[in-house]
Amino acid sequence: MTTVAPPRPVPSGVTRRRRPSTGSVVLDVVLVVFGLVMVAPLVWLVSTSLTDPAKAFQVPPNWLPVDATLQNFAAVGDLLPFGQMAVNSVVVAVVATLGSLVVSALAAYGFSRFSFRGRDGIFFVLLTALMVPAQLLVIPVFMLMRALGLVDTLASLWLPALIQVFSIFFLRQYFNSIPRELDDAAKLDGAGHGWILFRMIVPLSGPAISAVAILVFEASWNSYFAPLIFISTPEHMTLPLGLVALQTAQGGVSPTSVFAAITAVVVPVLVVFLVFQRHFVASIATAGIRG
Amino acid sequence: MTLTQNPPARVAPAAPHRPRAGGLGRNWLGYLFISPALVLFLVFIGGPFVVAIGLSLFRWDMLTPPEFVGADNFRLLFEDPTLLQAFGNTFVFALASVVTHVVGALLLALAANRVAGRVVSYFVRTAVFFPFIISWAAVALLWQYMLDPAFGLVNHYIERLGLTPPDWFLDPSWALPAIIGIDFWHTLGFTFIIMLAGLQTVPQQLVEAARTDGANRRQVFWNVTVPMMSPTLFFATVITFIGAFQIFDPVQIITSGGPDDATTTLVMYLYEQGFQAFQIGYASTVAIVVFVVIMLVTLLQFWASRKWVYQQ
Repeated sequence: MTTVAPPRPVPSGVTRRRRPSTGSVVLDVVLVVFGLVMVAPLVWLVSTSLTDPAKAFQVPPNWLPVDATLQNFAAVGDLLPFGQMAVNSVVVAVVATLGSLVVSALAAYGFSRFSFRGRDGIFFVLLTALMVPAQLLVIPVFMLMRALGLVDTLASLWLPALIQVFSIFFLRQYFNSIPRELDDAAKLDGAGHGWILFRMIVPLSGPAISAVAILVFEASWNSYFAPLIFISTPEHMTLPLGLVALQTAQGGVSPTSVFAAITAVVVPVLVVFLVFQRHFVASIATAGIRG
Repeated sequence: MTLTQNPPARVAPAAPHRPRAGGLGRNWLGYLFISPALVLFLVFIGGPFVVAIGLSLFRWDMLTPPEFVGADNFRLLFEDPTLLQAFGNTFVFALASVVTHVVGALLLALAANRVAGRVVSYFVRTAVFFPFIISWAAVALLWQYMLDPAFGLVNHYIERLGLTPPDWFLDPSWALPAIIGIDFWHTLGFTFIIMLAGLQTVPQQLVEAARTDGANRRQVFWNVTVPMMSPTLFFATVITFIGAFQIFDPVQIITSGGPDDATTTLVMYLYEQGFQAFQIGYASTVAIVVFVVIMLVTLLQFWASRKWVYQQ
């Protein structure tokens, strides 16, 4: 409280700025070229999706749209209910993310703030699930969904996603770092566990919450394996499965329409990513390193 | 801060001091808080895990009643040439993935970490990372066209270099390398972020001290950076291997395991057996193989990270 901030150093930009060496410049150029190569498929994708079908896929390739048109996008909607698929993707990802956050926060609070018989044993068993690949569980889960009559419903996608063992682990770590004196003080002020968890601990755990939220949302949004197994009718498909269904749709789809569909799926995600890039990268860096 | 320093506004009842386990709450409430997670765990992970192990002891096509066959499915594993091929493909893919990702991401991170210009730095980081957030479905479809022999970008530029490009997905010796390349494009950013984060843990004083003592760049890299980053390198290796060992989406979308099973991976084979041939018991057995390998690698990680890896 009483520590005095050290005097701020003189802005370094003015006084010493090292002149970049030749090697350093060469390395920068190599990096930029590498970056351009990484971006090239995306540029080609977007440009082709906007190109007149008759002029697409020429050699040498077009890096900008030729006779720019939106007709490829219009053709996509005629073939498959893409709007419905987008809604499905949003519903599944949002329900899975919010639902798993509530379940994980409750469990993390239970493991962090209570002492009960078998606590560490239960926690250990939960953690071992991180080693179990989804493919091992998918057949029994499919049987379960069939018994429940949930095959080919959105619930078959978000219900199993409500249990996120990594989120529980990660949130518990974070909750443990929040001083218990805060709980005690809140309790003295008459707060219950619900208030302490959702009004105090969760808001104090912003970075951890956003990290696991981003990871769960991203996994659900991009999931292909589970929809492939559980979903069969186009009206219940999510976007990744819909994309593949479009390409294999009967009657043949023009490649430019497939490109338009991919663009329509990819570009909004990229815009969101560019806005939240900092959080996104941080979530992977922190969760990755600690996980 | 004021919460802990000021005396509480309301004083707690001075009743006889109730024993509390280290300031923790009542026992049964703990169970209450973990119960939703526990129920979901039992229904969607624990239960299915036990059932999957059980299924591996049966022959079942989902229509007729299951027939108990003991360890027959496990015996079949060793006599099934396609499974051996799938196992080999998966290992080749996973090893190639680990080498390309870890080496590529480390070099990129080292190069990007020293970039002074903010624009260049932002561009490179974004360009390397963005493919990772695109779904495999979109990535697989896009790259199917990228590698198309007739109008794909890749073959066009290979031809411009005066080389003869292969017919990627129709040539058994090029199909798996093509998938490896696509995976590199898609997942490099993930490893890159982990490496960048790991680089921040290398103490700058140590690097400067080594420099002052006359170490050159190469010596600093091998004697300071790599040892200090060993937990990161190890973690990146393990997580890349585990992810790659479960590769499925691009294989199923692009090649369905072909040509001639050249790209059939274990999970692809499991999917074929379980959901196309309806050999539920055998598919569960293949899934157990995947699980055992992942478990062994995870345990190796626990064991080795204590033993070898330099920890601060």
